[in-house]
Amino acid sequence: MSDQLTTTTDVTLKIDGFEVTVPKGTLVIRAAEKLGIQIPRFCDHPLLAPAGACRQCLVDISINGRAFPKPQASCTIPVENGMEVKTQLTSTVADKAQKGIMELLLINHPLDCPVCDKGGECPLQNQAMSNGNGQSRYEGVKRTFEKPVAISSQVLLDRERCVLCARCTRFSEQIAGDPFITLNERGALQQVGIYEKEPFDSYYSGNTVQICPVGALTGATYRFRARPFDLVSNPSACEHCASGCAMRTDVRRGKTLRRLAGDDPTVNEEWNCDKGRWAFKYESARNRITTPYIRDESGVLREASWPEALSEAAKLLLNAKSAAVLMGGRATLEDAYGYSKFARIALQTNDIDFRARLNSNEEREFLANARPNATYKDIDDADHVVLISFEPEDESPIVFLRILKAVTKRKLAVTVISPIKSRGTEKLKANFISASAGFELKAIEKVDGLTNRSVILIGERALETEGLLSSVEQLATSKGAKLGWIPRRAGEVAALTAGAIGNLLPGLRPVQDAKARVDVQTVWGINQLPTKTGKSTDEILKDSDVILLGGVDANDISSSAKSQLSNKKIIAMDIRFGTSTEVAHVILPVASVVEKNGTFLDWQGKPRSFESAVESLNRSDVRILSMLADEMKRPINLPTVKAAANEIAQFDKWEKSTSNWHVSGTNTENLNLGPTEAILNSWRLLLDRGSLQEGEDNLAGTARKTIIGLNRTKAEKLNLVEGELVKISADSVSISAPLKIVETEENIVWVPRNSTGAQLVSKFSKPSGIKVSVSKA
Amino acid sequence: MSSANFTSEQITKMDQIIARYPRSRSAVMPLLHYVQSIFGYVTDEGIEFIGKKLDLATAEVNAVASFYTQYKRKPVGEYHIGICTNTLCAVMGGDAIYSALKDQIGSEHDGVSADGKVSLEHIECNAACDYAPVMMVNWEFYDNQTVESAKEFVEKARTGNPPAPTRGPKKLRTWKENSEVLAGFSDGLANEGISAGKASLLGLSKMKNSGNN
Repeated sequence: MSDQLTTTTDVTLKIDGFEVTVPKGTLVIRAAEKLGIQIPRFCDHPLLAPAGACRQCLVDISINGRAFPKPQASCTIPVENGMEVKTQLTSTVADKAQKGIMELLLINHPLDCPVCDKGGECPLQNQAMSNGNGQSRYEGVKRTFEKPVAISSQVLLDRERCVLCARCTRFSEQIAGDPFITLNERGALQQVGIYEKEPFDSYYSGNTVQICPVGALTGATYRFRARPFDLVSNPSACEHCASGCAMRTDVRRGKTLRRLAGDDPTVNEEWNCDKGRWAFKYESARNRITTPYIRDESGVLREASWPEALSEAAKLLLNAKSAAVLMGGRATLEDAYGYSKFARIALQTNDIDFRARLNSNEEREFLANARPNATYKDIDDADHVVLISFEPEDESPIVFLRILKAVTKRKLAVTVISPIKSRGTEKLKANFISASAGFELKAIEKVDGLTNRSVILIGERALETEGLLSSVEQLATSKGAKLGWIPRRAGEVAALTAGAIGNLLPGLRPVQDAKARVDVQTVWGINQLPTKTGKSTDEILKDSDVILLGGVDANDISSSAKSQLSNKKIIAMDIRFGTSTEVAHVILPVASVVEKNGTFLDWQGKPRSFESAVESLNRSDVRILSMLADEMKRPINLPTVKAAANEIAQFDKWEKSTSNWHVSGTNTENLNLGPTEAILNSWRLLLDRGSLQEGEDNLAGTARKTIIGLNRTKAEKLNLVEGELVKISADSVSISAPLKIVETEENIVWVPRNSTGAQLVSKFSKPSGIKVSVSKA
Repeated sequence: MSSANFTSEQITKMDQIIARYPRSRSAVMPLLHYVQSIFGYVTDEGIEFIGKKLDLATAEVNAVASFYTQYKRKPVGEYHIGICTNTLCAVMGGDAIYSALKDQIGSEHDGVSADGKVSLEHIECNAACDYAPVMMVNWEFYDNQTVESAKEFVEKARTGNPPAPTRGPKKLRTWKENSEVLAGFSDGLANEGISAGKASLLGLSKMKNSGNN
């Protein structure tokens, strides 16, 4: 015995007569799982702190022959040496206790399984069958509540079904940091609830629906839509951001009815955000493109056959003076690879850019030469996490949960450099350094305490300040800290890896490196590749005369992009009608994520593969590009996603990079602000006017409101009161929204970048760093 | 919720309460009592302000306020009467007293008389079974009650002259005043009157007299 204690931190015990050895601190219920013994439970969840709330997991325990006087909750008791546990399988006492608890839990439960969303996949239903009495002795009147209560526009609560396990309240408090739902009242009236004036507007609220072990919490969108046994479930990957969540897509008769968080301990654990869970109707929206179109001479779009549309597109591309490819950030690795190869072979150019958004040349150099290496694991192990131009709760919510977990569990130090102190920054208890877009370089100098265990996470928005990406990369390198670049969209890391950018070939190979070109020529079986570095997005918009758009929304690029595109010949490949099809001469429909196979790379570069969840005639971009290339007699030979994947696998990673790409920023630029002026700052909120959220009204109901944020001093100087309508203007355009006092510097005004009434990219010359005037609306 | 609903003196007192604890969230319960001492019950303004003060979600403060029956979410009378209706008090007359007062006041559980002077609830055991049936007014003891004595209390309380508690201070203080004591601000009356009455000490004196000490 003493040997064991001194030589190991493992504990050996017996459960139902079987010996099992587990690490010290393991709960009895987990140790039993290891033996394959299932103890029924509701409140127990491996990622939440033990609660012992439901009492369903009662077992008989003795330690070295001394028995507990009554059955114990196995979800709260850690194992001990010499412990002997008897579950319902070997102890009549435990079995009777569990049956008694089940009978109590069911006394007020309505047993409305036939009309309950959870019926068929319900732990209460299942365990009532496996560990309950067939009959209840209760003959009284069941307690009822008004139902359902909408605790937010997305989550509905049926209180009479609740067994008070506190999974939802513990999740909200411990994992999401949003303790907006609590157990209220006491005794027979105890119930889950919100504070009446404050709805459950958490970005992670959908997880509570998923982990509710009964049908008490249901999603407004899925409620009464399907029975679980009519659904076909497919493992999938989330297409919304670069967090890389594993997902499950549930489909009935070819239509996605719901999406759930998948279980990947190295990425999203078992959680996801509400956008990933509840924004999927876009793929079945009315404005889906279902057939090719050609614009006729009078400028009207008409339906066309595939051969005609392909031949028209091929003609346009072959006759171009300067053809180019612009891609959105949502393509899969295989599709991006298709665009990359198509540009090089069919268009014989490097004029391709996946950054159909704000971009800079410094960013392109950064992407080609910096080697971001941080992972989720590094966040778990970090001594300090620094966030620059990156608001994880809005821009990569699972990265946020991971940082928050380390903050909660082990007080991880976090530094945030951002224009305003966001709710996320507050939840992370971060050291907040306020810095306007354009002025972050000074703020970086204030960051200290960086070691080789530190992690610097930099967002896509860093490109908006000249020199910032360079400085941060140099800072990380000099301290040996891990660096992570976290773009907003799911497809960007894959597009970069596929070489869908003017200075890179597949596998991060520089266009300018002859050896790199030879590598690619070998795989592609060709003799020559274009050698001139390709144009960037802005140059393509300016100079190219024929552009192939792959999933591009002009309103994401700039306020002038749409008019620039309208002067060119456009071939648009897209899933829905939008800004790109408005200016297109040929439209080719492609498959949405649920209709195709593919792979995203998350921000770590980890592949997130998925297979099609619904049957569809729509084809992945790479297939259509291959047909178009054939039509042009310049084949790229990628007839399937699989073919693309196989070819990508033939490229090794190119680790070499140049060291002299860095750009030094100015940092001292003086904007000469007048008394009524401030510098515009913005980022996109998680829930906003993003096009993949269209039609999701329940989701939109929990979005944070559009505000204009100023600090108190500035507001007082301008004689503005919190809550009143104020206006910011520049370039003879303006937007207005209610004023909110925020923690920031006096010269900063903050507005959400793409929220209702505040779509900055398509409105102002730049969505950040410009001078705007602030006044009463 | 802004601080506009509270005077600077009140806010200073709240800060004093918060300063008593190493972790500010521990102050939630005395602060709720303090809010009751200002408004007579826990108002939305109070919950929201406490949440802000302690960096808690309003839902968390509300959860505490709704759990404990001593926190009232709607106004009670100047004299809040609790009749113990647990087993011993109930059979000793508690049930009868409760139903008599219900008629007299004209309200149900947790209801207030029309003039706002008195309110009534039935309460769980207040650890005074040796004085059953027990009536609590603003958490002061009225021992060995009868229907008559309880009704007389209500009548007098309505005129502003409530009889003194049978234990505790010489004069009954109002609901708001006693709420401030519960918030941790002493009224200096803790040692007034008897605390352990004859019935509680009966066993002790018996034992002493029997010579077995």
